[in-house]
Amino acid sequence: MIQKKICLLGASSVGKTSLVKQFVEGIFSEKYLTTIGVKIDKKTIFLENEEIQLMLWDMEGNDTYNVFQERYLRGAAGYIIVVDQTRATSLHEGLDIHTLVRQVTDCPAILAINKSDLPATWNMDDSENKSYQNLFDLQFSTSAKTGSNVEEMFSALAKLLLRS
Amino acid sequence: MTQLLNKVINALEQIILEVIDTNTGTVKWVEGDGEWAIDLFPNAGNQQAFAINEETPFLQDFLFDATLIWQAAENGKLRSGLWTETTHTNKELYLEAIAIKQDQHNLLVITNQREDFEFQQKTKQLAREVLLSYDRLFLKNEYLHTRLLSILKQPPEQSNILTTLTKVIENAEFAVLIASSDFSTNIENSAAIKLFDQGTLISSQPSRPIDIILRLMQNQLPEYERILSTNSSWDGELCWISPPSTLKWLKVAFYPVKNKLNEVENWIIFANDISTIKHLIQRNEQLALQDMLTELPNRFSFLQMLEKHIAAKQPFYLLYIDINDFRRHNEFYGHDQGDKLLIELSKRISAVVKTSDFIARVGGDEFAIMLNNIDNQKACKIAIQRIIDSINKPFHTKKSESFNISISIGAANYPHDGQSVEELMKFVDLSAYNGKKNRKNSVQFYSQSMKDASHHLIIVEQNLRQAIKNNEFELYLQPIIDIKTNRINKAEALIRWNHPEKGLINPDDFIPIAEKSGLIIAIGEWVISRTCQMAKQICDLGFDIKISMNLSPSQVTDNNLFAYLSTCINDNKINPRLLELEVTEGVLVDDYSAAEKLLSNVRTIGMSVSVDDFGTGYSSLSYLKKLPLDFLKIDRSFIKEIVADDNDKAIVRAVISMAHNLNLCVTAEGVETKEQLSFLVDNSCNSVQGYIFSRPIKLDYFIKLLHEQK
Repeated sequence: MIQKKICLLGASSVGKTSLVKQFVEGIFSEKYLTTIGVKIDKKTIFLENEEIQLMLWDMEGNDTYNVFQERYLRGAAGYIIVVDQTRATSLHEGLDIHTLVRQVTDCPAILAINKSDLPATWNMDDSENKSYQNLFDLQFSTSAKTGSNVEEMFSALAKLLLRS
Repeated sequence: MTQLLNKVINALEQIILEVIDTNTGTVKWVEGDGEWAIDLFPNAGNQQAFAINEETPFLQDFLFDATLIWQAAENGKLRSGLWTETTHTNKELYLEAIAIKQDQHNLLVITNQREDFEFQQKTKQLAREVLLSYDRLFLKNEYLHTRLLSILKQPPEQSNILTTLTKVIENAEFAVLIASSDFSTNIENSAAIKLFDQGTLISSQPSRPIDIILRLMQNQLPEYERILSTNSSWDGELCWISPPSTLKWLKVAFYPVKNKLNEVENWIIFANDISTIKHLIQRNEQLALQDMLTELPNRFSFLQMLEKHIAAKQPFYLLYIDINDFRRHNEFYGHDQGDKLLIELSKRISAVVKTSDFIARVGGDEFAIMLNNIDNQKACKIAIQRIIDSINKPFHTKKSESFNISISIGAANYPHDGQSVEELMKFVDLSAYNGKKNRKNSVQFYSQSMKDASHHLIIVEQNLRQAIKNNEFELYLQPIIDIKTNRINKAEALIRWNHPEKGLINPDDFIPIAEKSGLIIAIGEWVISRTCQMAKQICDLGFDIKISMNLSPSQVTDNNLFAYLSTCINDNKINPRLLELEVTEGVLVDDYSAAEKLLSNVRTIGMSVSVDDFGTGYSSLSYLKKLPLDFLKIDRSFIKEIVADDNDKAIVRAVISMAHNLNLCVTAEGVETKEQLSFLVDNSCNSVQGYIFSRPIKLDYFIKLLHEQK
């Protein structure tokens, strides 16, 4: 069995834990409970006749109360920057984190624009969309609440990791 | 002893593992036990060696960093940070590991941090919920404020405006009130009525929401009078207590909508109920007294401390620091950069004040400092200079663009200037406001003369408003002579104020006030209109004379200016070729994009553009190449000593040569003597202006001069 470490990063309360919970357990809770430190969940998937165990490192969001720690990225095969489409600032914060991560690893990266079930407060025009696409290997519009694109995102990342 | 130690370790919910092999992660359990520890390592027997493996992946990963400690020559330790481990029995453990090297012993201590974890989670949960609420509140306010202002500023004849306005207001999730200038009439949305509902039990007539807000502001804000008398905007928090059952915390934003005469036509007021946020904050004492962005004490905490110091009757200086043009900075770089600036500024100021001083963030871009143990102005000035020095160094955006800011500082002394919190805060606020006359750093100590000067400004502003209504302004023309033909080919239009009591007033005495109060737009429009009339009159007499008019910085950024100019040109049926705009180089540098747009537009229709007072300001030469310009006017300060001063000679020669290379013509201002004139003629200056030919004169006299020259 192949094991891959995937880190979930982003500003606080963008839905990192909810995405993992939806993917691993298929459940969503409306109640927001902030993550402290790191929590690792595992999920095994089958892809192209391979059994892959994803080790999902769900990290405490980065804000005034918690700064980004690059050491947790050691050995990561890929990472997901999660942003909240109802808060434009979370995109800027996510991109800042992405810049910091890029200084320590060039492994595959995904941008997850989460909370797609809620109206977006920012509108990306084509050129912006393109420029973000260039920064990431893949980009998904997800909803941890409805499950929309959650499975697809993790599977796509796993596929990418298998090939790289 | 070992037994006692073991008890302590168990009480601390720790286990101690001794590292046997750093390469394989093999450890031996030496001290501590407990159910949680057995859950964590179910396969490890007491005193038995076992390997830390992928069953505990966080810990396994931590071994990489821990090995560096264990293999080092010196004693040392490293903490892993908190993590959550889900055990095979599906329990969640909240743990932290510490790698220790102590006297040849390599140890790994694992602590069950359940209590610390829960405390951290509770605190951060509250803090993050508050952050989120503020974020949302801010977005809602900004959005509605921008929309309302843009709607209210549209010409009233535009259709559907009332319908749109009503919809926007009614659908807002928070209270919106639009009041007349004297607050006598107002409209309010359903959210406002709901927010200020005073119940049905009250027998007397319930107060209107607007009256409640004004009363709260009057009672709770030392700045209240200043806000109303200077028509300023304000935002902040108010506490509304109305017995027996109402206690609400309100976040209120208070904005004036002004007309061209800078008179308030309406007030827009937003009010949000932030009682829940306050409640969340108050559950955590630290958060209740701390500003979340800068982590400095907040306004509430500052006022408490101020009370305490006044009660102690120890003299101190109170400083109020306001960032100049912060709103502009926010609009230009974005709100996140504005936040970054506030954080950086707070750090810089904190680093230069003494530990015995007290600094707080007391408003959006306002900081207050108590300088303790200082009782004389000289010492206070030294402390202020340290603050100014610290902010004079450039700031950087996230994209590494550098920029500078300036601040206005108001200062007052306890007990000399004021003896109560209200008085002191009111005085420093007024002092900082008075210092904001320009974009430079300013320090203003509270004094009676400052209070009088502030009153004087208000009177001049009122008089100016009357002057616009009563048509008390007049345009004078100062001839500009073409050196080649030695004839008048242009004139600069210069404004004078015919005050009914004080007589003729020079622009230097009223234009800065007009600029500051916003009246410059109305005065500027009068200048444009009158210049067009004069140009037409001169042209109709058969003279081909261009008239140039000065634009102020506010006019350059006024979106309606070009449309107004075009209307005046059409109404007077004049050739735009007969008009010129003069802008100072400061305007070109400060408002480059606005200036570029305006100047390109006016040149497209045939007007020319000149740069006034060249050489006195920023002298950033790059704009000369990029902007659409025709003339440079060398400032009179270089011409004055041109005959005697070799430096001025060199500067003027260089400016003329550079301008000609850029295909620009040069006009010299302030030419008063034949010697000056002859130097300019010898050095190929294109035209001159000054008392040697004529001072600024009235139109009929100017026309007489033109006839004479004919």
